[in-house]
Amino acid sequence: MDTHIRKVYVPMTETGFYILLCLQQPMHGYGIVQKVKELTDGTILLSPGTMYGSLSKMEKDRLIALIREEEKRKIYQITDLGREVLALEKERIIRLYRNMEEV
Amino acid sequence: MKKRVMVRFFTIPEYERECLFLQEQHRQGWKLVSVYFPGIYLFEACEPEEVVYQLDFNEEGRKELHSYVQIFKDCGWEYLFSYMGYSYFRKPMKAMQQQESIFCDDASRLDMMRRVFKSRMIPLVVLFALVILPQTFLQASQRDGSLHSFFFYTYVVLFVFYLYIFVRFFLHYRKLSRS
Repeated sequence: MDTHIRKVYVPMTETGFYILLCLQQPMHGYGIVQKVKELTDGTILLSPGTMYGSLSKMEKDRLIALIREEEKRKIYQITDLGREVLALEKERIIRLYRNMEEV
Repeated sequence: MKKRVMVRFFTIPEYERECLFLQEQHRQGWKLVSVYFPGIYLFEACEPEEVVYQLDFNEEGRKELHSYVQIFKDCGWEYLFSYMGYSYFRKPMKAMQQQESIFCDDASRLDMMRRVFKSRMIPLVVLFALVILPQTFLQASQRDGSLHSFFFYTYVVLFVFYLYIFVRFFLHYRKLSRS
């Protein structure tokens, strides 16, 4: 993983985290919006401008890949690099949680 | 259908004020139809309603307009048109559970400003550095005839206008990146 990826994605935004988390299954942008709404009981509502921008940025950085287009909706899936970044983020969140409980 | 034209100027970093202006018109029963020319807006009479207007600046999106617009549509935003690089969207307040915008975090708001900066501000900065700045000083040193005076004042006006845009942009960017 190069320094650019580390600098931009570790730590990452909540939007970035949920995108990678959801894209472990193939999904389109609006699918992610709905999934996140469901996972967070409606607390987090991702917006389309943010979603579109994040998806194209992550595709350019090869964290996710376009697999096909269905009725004008682009379907993406996480790549190996994306999984590496997600694993780092997961470690970071676990550490945060552990420290929060201990201190 | 009754129509009306309004003239309002917003400089590059003022897209948020532009959105509020459009929202205010819709509240008074005038919905946006198109932008003719920078600063010239065409409205059509409609039922007064609280409608949120939003501008995005995404060149990639405009290249693949179908899939770009689709995700906004899915989220309940109506796509109006694109003008001078900006895409216009609106969504009625009654379709929202809370105040919504097309960006949900400051990281993506900053990304949009960076895109605006790259394609809108950099050409201005170049023009400023290569033409306006040297010409202002050149004309200042040659202010003998009335023609020179005319050029001098023209360049001074441009100089001040450009500085104003740069300062606005910088302040807005700093405000966002600090929050």
